[in-house]
Amino acid sequence: MSFEQFQNSARLYVIGALEPEELQVFESARKLYGTAAEDFIHQCYALHEAFALSLKPATASSAIKDKLMAMVRDRQGLSGGGPG
Amino acid sequence: MKFVDGNAREKYNWMMSSALDPNLPTDAVVTESKPIAVAVASEPGGPSDVDLMLAIQREDADALSHLYDRYNGIVKALILRIIHNDTEADDLLQEVFMEIWNQAKNFSAEKGKPLGWMVTLTRRRAIDALRKKQAYARAEERFQAEPEQQPLAWVQNVTEDEIHAGDTRVLMAKVINCLPVAQQQVIELAFFQGMSQREIASHTNIPLGTVKTRLELGLKKIYDGLKELRDEL
Repeated sequence: MSFEQFQNSARLYVIGALEPEELQVFESARKLYGTAAEDFIHQCYALHEAFALSLKPATASSAIKDKLMAMVRDRQGLSGGGPG
Repeated sequence: MKFVDGNAREKYNWMMSSALDPNLPTDAVVTESKPIAVAVASEPGGPSDVDLMLAIQREDADALSHLYDRYNGIVKALILRIIHNDTEADDLLQEVFMEIWNQAKNFSAEKGKPLGWMVTLTRRRAIDALRKKQAYARAEERFQAEPEQQPLAWVQNVTEDEIHAGDTRVLMAKVINCLPVAQQQVIELAFFQGMSQREIASHTNIPLGTVKTRLELGLKKIYDGLKELRDEL
């Protein structure tokens, strides 16, 4: 697999779109290209942010945050943790 | 490719960053790279995303509250895009931020930016939820009912005024909107529905090789578009 082919596969890999048989070939190439491969894969995760940021933010129920924070503070109470 | 004017650009905090796979161990090999991701600008004088994550690691609940205020809209939009149910999306939003709280110790600023980490975590949880709740079939039915509208819906909220006003979403949407609809469609199914290439081929009656080519070309264009944005800004 050329590095260009590896790059194409890496972009599929980060969104989980490689087929199992492609994954094996990809992992072999990943080892072959070493640090350059890892660098590129890390860069490809930027695609995740791009897709999320392309969406119009949605409005959540205000009760969600209240429930979330109550759960967090309960957990802090149970663990005896918390800031300060 | 033309983007917003210089004044609008100043509103955004385009940063060199990489998203972090939440499942990676914290002692994973860290490599030097020049990632291309961007992040939402934080309020002037406010804590950075990394500051907030570090505080969450110290179990500072106020930091989680702040992070929630900053990103709940994006996180919920991503969830909603995947599971198409507002009530379930709210529930999952709560679960995702609880997981951020619980998994914060696995975040490493050296390996990536908080937003990328959160998005990866959110997408994984949402696709899991989609499959577990067997909502997949319902989403499929919806898709079949409007096969041509789906890719356009991805960026349907972008108007000319918004493009001129400029915000991160519009810039990202513009990069994606540059793609042919056929490429948007397969990326939509792969990223937001978690479908494999074979599933996409089966779902759309498009040959597997064509699906692969469209995915590769589309993702490369988006990737290159992000790089171009980074270089321009």
